[in-house]
Amino acid sequence: MAVATSSNPTAQNRGYADPKVLMALRSLELRARVVVEGFWNGLHRSPYHGFSVEFTEYRQYSPGDDTRYLDWRLYARSDRYYLKKFEDETNLRCHLLVDQSRSMEYGSLTYTKSEYVRTLAATLAWFLHAQGDAVGLVTFDERVRDYLPPRHRKGHLRRLMMALERRAEGKATNVNEPLRRTAELARKRGLIVLLSDLLTPLDELERNLARLTSAGHEVVLMHALDPNELAFDFHQASLFQDMESRQDVYLDPENARADYQHRLTDHCRGAETICQKLGAEFHRVVTDRPLELALTDFLRGRARRNKLIRRRVPARTSK
Amino acid sequence: MNFLAPWFLLGALAVAGPVVFHLIRRSVRERTAFSSVLFLRPVPPRATRRSKLEHILLLLLRCLALLLLALGFARPFFPKSEAPAAPAGPGHQTVLLIDTSASMRRAGLWPKALAVAGQYLDKAELGDRVAVLTFDQQVHPLVSFAEWLSWPLDQRAALTRQKLAAVSPTWSGTALGPALIEAAELFQEDKGEASSSRVVTLISDLQEGANLDGLQGHEWPKNVGVQVERIDPAKRGNAGLEILDPTRAALGDERQARVRIANARDSDRESFALAWDADQAKPAQIYLPPGQTRTFAAPPLPAGATTGALRLTGDTEDFDNTTWFAVPEAERVVVAYFGSESGNDPQQLRYYLERAFSDTGRRAVDVVSVASNSVFDSEMLNHAALAVVPARLTAEESAALKTWLAAGKTELRVMTNALTDTADVPMEATEAAGDYALLGDVDFTHPIFAPFTDPRFSDFSRIHFWKHRMVKFATNLPVRVLAKFDDGSPALAQISEGKGNLLVLAAGWNPADSQLALSTKFVPLMQTILDWSGGAAPARTQFQIGDSIPAPVAPGDTIRWTKPDGKTVEQAAGTPFTGTDVPGNYSAAVGNKTNRFAVNLPLDESRTAPMSPDDLGRLGVPLQSATRTPATVSAGTQRILARAELENRQKLWRWLIAGLLGVALVEILLGGWLARRVPSLEVTS
Repeated sequence: MAVATSSNPTAQNRGYADPKVLMALRSLELRARVVVEGFWNGLHRSPYHGFSVEFTEYRQYSPGDDTRYLDWRLYARSDRYYLKKFEDETNLRCHLLVDQSRSMEYGSLTYTKSEYVRTLAATLAWFLHAQGDAVGLVTFDERVRDYLPPRHRKGHLRRLMMALERRAEGKATNVNEPLRRTAELARKRGLIVLLSDLLTPLDELERNLARLTSAGHEVVLMHALDPNELAFDFHQASLFQDMESRQDVYLDPENARADYQHRLTDHCRGAETICQKLGAEFHRVVTDRPLELALTDFLRGRARRNKLIRRRVPARTSK
Repeated sequence: MNFLAPWFLLGALAVAGPVVFHLIRRSVRERTAFSSVLFLRPVPPRATRRSKLEHILLLLLRCLALLLLALGFARPFFPKSEAPAAPAGPGHQTVLLIDTSASMRRAGLWPKALAVAGQYLDKAELGDRVAVLTFDQQVHPLVSFAEWLSWPLDQRAALTRQKLAAVSPTWSGTALGPALIEAAELFQEDKGEASSSRVVTLISDLQEGANLDGLQGHEWPKNVGVQVERIDPAKRGNAGLEILDPTRAALGDERQARVRIANARDSDRESFALAWDADQAKPAQIYLPPGQTRTFAAPPLPAGATTGALRLTGDTEDFDNTTWFAVPEAERVVVAYFGSESGNDPQQLRYYLERAFSDTGRRAVDVVSVASNSVFDSEMLNHAALAVVPARLTAEESAALKTWLAAGKTELRVMTNALTDTADVPMEATEAAGDYALLGDVDFTHPIFAPFTDPRFSDFSRIHFWKHRMVKFATNLPVRVLAKFDDGSPALAQISEGKGNLLVLAAGWNPADSQLALSTKFVPLMQTILDWSGGAAPARTQFQIGDSIPAPVAPGDTIRWTKPDGKTVEQAAGTPFTGTDVPGNYSAAVGNKTNRFAVNLPLDESRTAPMSPDDLGRLGVPLQSATRTPATVSAGTQRILARAELENRQKLWRWLIAGLLGVALVEILLGGWLARRVPSLEVTS
């Protein structure tokens, strides 16, 4: 699909879709398709073989095999018994945890963080669904708003998109509650992707993430920030009002910038440290970056993790 | 540069506003939405920057806009061309025609009329020519064009005002039509330089009782227009009254006056009271709807009164509520008859003479025989106004009659067959031969025959004279032949005898002599002879303002006239009195006899409902719309108006307002640009 490029230098140079142009598309589903189809790369294998739609290889029949999987057509042509083998991709159960608090409605660009994150979630959902994985959704602010269990059924992706279309209305951010609920609901191990600006104290983050990792879940934390939240590019003294709590802080940005950036960096580093400690992936997602790069980061992280697992498995078998 | 409204310059102080606002703006705390203030600590801006003015250019533009606004409202102008401009081209020619009729006496009308006239005078420019006429029943020139031009430029209006101040409404009626025509003719008479327009400005109450005679079909000069300034009274409605001529009443009923009352069309009253001034106790109640005129019987005049004032009460205007009345006195006239025959014999002259002089409301005529039974009554002769002599006179009679004649009396000598020779008059009379005679030549220029001048009455040729006498007068006798028979002999001749006159009729009117007594000419002829001989008192006692009162016939040389205001005028006997300019009772005293007359307003003046100027238009008057400017009252006001005029010509405020709009536009654009220039990062969702 042809995608318009824009003034974003990264997008221009690498042929990615400019987020500004992308966000101009009204349909979330369409945005996801654009990103995924523009970036159809990095298929990953399921650790389990099963009987799914995706055929992988034939194997000579040997006595004792289940005759249900005999390829009778091939037998008719070749007079040999072969069994069909399929890759089972539905075993990956992914939960997307999307922050929809009011702070996500901030945006110094033509779109808000929320729009960007919802598009990113839709992209991941589309991508994973296209691979045959089951995708679930948890939206939250100060509490869990929507919960869609992971499915790979016809129409599920549409329901997921519709749940993502809902605008952020929450007055506060609480990442602990959805993590706790997800730990309770996701009995089968899978992938947990948390998309949030994490503008909340990180006191209980470590404990809740640990519950998930200890349950065998693979956790990816995507920390979304607006470029202006990083740069704090204000010049006029004014009352800065918290979008969630409506609290006013009167300050001169020129004087307050350094302190703000310092404290924000500390906060981000704290979150990253927690992730590292628990073996979770941490990605910072700045909303002016093309979504393909965020997808690349995600897949690279997954690839790194898979390699690590494969290296560990032979080591265990060799013992 | 001067200013018409300099106090508006105080508005320039408003520039302090933007300056203060630009300073205050620094401390105004604008809100910027941010995702979270979790990592923000309050750091207020440094205090040293608070007093700094922001957007200096914007501030200057705003101050400039306020200054331009204040300057524009102050109405600036350059005083260099303050001198009035010379008139371009010929000026206007105006005739101010001001109504001074009695109806203008209504409350407040005359000051209003003067004010309107003053406005037109003030409006007159350098090259204009103005004439002022006032009119009631007559037109009275007040200021002519030549007089206006002869005055200094700056004093014309003031001098005309001065003349107008001496004028006040009269008691006369309103002859509007003739006045308009005369005013328009004034332009024709003026031979001055050309004018750009010629306008008659009529300042009047336009009461519907005004006389519009002459307007219908009048050919107006082409370049003359008429502006109408109608002066409306504060209160509408009026009623007036008029006593009908009592001399037309039957003899003896003169004291019972009849009164005609008119209620104006715009009146809101219907009930009135009518009473004599001397007897207010018993007023007659009158009901008269608006717009109607009716005749009522007045209450009886108080006993013994010869004059009276009848007053109408109950209407809104007083000027016409009183009408004066003089009881007519019937004149008793004696005709001395020098004959002895009975008045009951239809074959004799006296029979017809007595019937010709039957009593009327004007007078009662007694035909008295002064020579009955051969006794001459000279005393009776002295009271007589006319002597009729059909018979030969005695010496005594002849002498008395001659003296009587010399005093200014008239004798009618009838040449019957019994009187063919006369001793006292140098003439010869012989019986004429032939079948009959007719009147051939009549002198209608003589007062006796003047009433018969009209062709309807001038035919004397059908009167047959069976017998007549051919009279030959002595050549030295001052004879004027008034009528001749068809044979050329005199039928009626006048011979002057001192102050008196001797009329000689060459035939009698008895049936044996002629058909004269039986003809329609006989009675009027006898009446005119009696009138001519001075036997009739003035017939009328009721007159209107402006009428001339005929002098009562009296033997004296002068008559003393007394007006209602007590002024007396001595006039020669026989001269009619023309000074009837005030309503009231007039008297004419001759010797010890006094004749009384009443002079009143014309009833039309009471019909005060206003006409529409369009009514004049329908009669062909070339109407123009009236345009007036407010009057200037003082030199100071004139100076202010001159400055306003100068400012109005220059209109500098327009440029200032245009500049203000330009500055405002630039300010809006700059303000918008500055607002957009605020970093978009501050703009939140």
